[in-house]
Amino acid sequence: MENNPNSEPETQAGPCAYDLKAAPNRQVVLPKTVPLPSLKLWRAEQEAAAAAEAAKWQKTLADYEAAKAKAEAEGKDAPKPPVRPVAKPDANDMKFPAPAPATDPDLLRLQEVLGDKVEEAFQQAGELTCQVAREAVQEALRLCRDDDALHYEMLADETATHYPAAKDFAFSVVYHLTSIRRRKRMRLRILIPDGFEPDTATTVYPTANWLEREVWDMLGIRFSGHPDMTRILCPEGWEGHALRKEYPVLGLGQREIDFREDRSGMLNRRALEKAGFQSLNLNPPKAE
Amino acid sequence: MFKNEEMEINMGPQHPSTHGVLRLKLKLDGEIIRHCRPVIGYLHRGVEKICENKTFFQGQVWTDRMDYCSAVANNLGWAEAVEKLFGITVPRRAKYIRTMLNEYNRLASHLIWLATHALDIGAMTVFLYAFREREAVLDLFEAFCGARLTTTAFRIGGLREDLPPGFEKMARTFQARFLACIDEYETLLTENRIWKKRTIGVGILKADDAIAMGVTGPVLRAAGVPYDIRKAFPYAAYDEMEFAIPTKPEADTYARYLVRLEEMRQSHRIINQCLDGLPEGPVMAKLPKILRAEVNEVYHPTECPKGELGYYLVGEKGSTNPYRFHVRAPGFINLQALPMMVEGTLVADVIATIGTLDVVLGEIDR
Repeated sequence: MENNPNSEPETQAGPCAYDLKAAPNRQVVLPKTVPLPSLKLWRAEQEAAAAAEAAKWQKTLADYEAAKAKAEAEGKDAPKPPVRPVAKPDANDMKFPAPAPATDPDLLRLQEVLGDKVEEAFQQAGELTCQVAREAVQEALRLCRDDDALHYEMLADETATHYPAAKDFAFSVVYHLTSIRRRKRMRLRILIPDGFEPDTATTVYPTANWLEREVWDMLGIRFSGHPDMTRILCPEGWEGHALRKEYPVLGLGQREIDFREDRSGMLNRRALEKAGFQSLNLNPPKAE
Repeated sequence: MFKNEEMEINMGPQHPSTHGVLRLKLKLDGEIIRHCRPVIGYLHRGVEKICENKTFFQGQVWTDRMDYCSAVANNLGWAEAVEKLFGITVPRRAKYIRTMLNEYNRLASHLIWLATHALDIGAMTVFLYAFREREAVLDLFEAFCGARLTTTAFRIGGLREDLPPGFEKMARTFQARFLACIDEYETLLTENRIWKKRTIGVGILKADDAIAMGVTGPVLRAAGVPYDIRKAFPYAAYDEMEFAIPTKPEADTYARYLVRLEEMRQSHRIINQCLDGLPEGPVMAKLPKILRAEVNEVYHPTECPKGELGYYLVGEKGSTNPYRFHVRAPGFINLQALPMMVEGTLVADVIATIGTLDVVLGEIDR
């Protein structure tokens, strides 16, 4: 049996036997950057860019001086002095909304009450963002709901983002709060490493029940204290979490399914496919 | 003979009144519902994952397929979210046309809600009447963008084309007769004894519960909370429009019916203002051919016919795709309140309650 070249190799045991290397279209290119919106990171990036530009200009000047000295020594005409490039005015109706320091009273209030637990607060594109320590998320949510100066009575949305390239965290979880009475919105954010279970928001906002189930289903973050931490969109027993960056867009692949009867001609079609034929079922469907 | 035990039955996912593939696990004591657990996900296509691997321009096509009854409102949310991410200024004429089409979409969506809701409860005639007017609205969409259901009506930065010649005449003809049509539906339903018996006091969700459960849209307004994103956080050209937010204090199915009918009248009013005050000018902003994002995140809420439709986008520097895309689907959040509304009521009331929530499983499952 083992020497028979026509016999099929045995499939690996267990339902997780996906051979992603054999399927090049399922291979994933992981993101290399960490696009975490943040005032600190943005400022650092701007400073680095400005420094790089200044260094480049200094190098151009030094090159010019060297070329000038060389030309003088050889008795030739001096080269033209370099012109510092000026950024062209952008003709498009587009202006990137840069992050700005927190000036909104709500963010200041949060900073005042929570103190060191607020890691960062900034405004961008007309939206308020407050990043709090991951252990203090429930406290921050409760404060946002119950404080008279804040009064965010509704949780509009809760979701998470996967950052596989980041070093000291893996996910950002964001809570979008709405104050109906004050017509304001705010975003609370926590950064968590893989495997960390943040406190549930369901005790403060019951809306978070399904939203947190969705986050668990799609990104694999469990929330401690959640009353019903089950999958919601994918069936129970699904493997992997689809919105993680390492999950292929095409899915992990098809599992072998035992059909009780080949009513639709599926097995027949698969056999044809394996033999290299087009996967078209030309047979009429069998009667029930 | 009389055994006092609970029976568990499945309602759906192939039940005609569940508007698609919603499955409810019901625990019944006789005819009274003791426990209800919605099971969703039968229509999950991974729209968020797909959009993360498409460019900003391509992503809009997928928003049509989420809430297919209100594709234009979904397109508007996507276009505006991306514009907010990039800081794009849209010409005023484009904003007006967007507002007008969005309101037409609200009419189409509310009409299909009225038709199917009435059909579920047993009023067959309204279905035919409402679909007659919906056809006229879809004809307008067809005249504008060539598609009736999956419109992809807008472009990032404005519109692809201006209104076609003859559109205004078509729209005015529709406007002239539509108010009488709403009155016609009202003669069929509002004072109808059966309709009132099936809807008054059914599926009650009080304001405090609704806010705690995050419920938005007509369901929240029928509980007496005047929260409308068009007024609270104006987008498109809504800050220039005059309209009222209809509310009712009763918080039952009948109140939601009245609120939605009044909303249709207000939409009619907004469309008239758009047609009258349509400014001249370009309909497309000047944009580069390829949009490359900077690091930024936006959450853009819009008032979809079903409630608050929020798009959350994260941009990656130099990338043409969104790094993260999340939809806050109004149906998803509203459906969560269903057990609260039906537990303790009768099985027949579940049908009315699902209808009044106006669920579309395409956006719930995504």
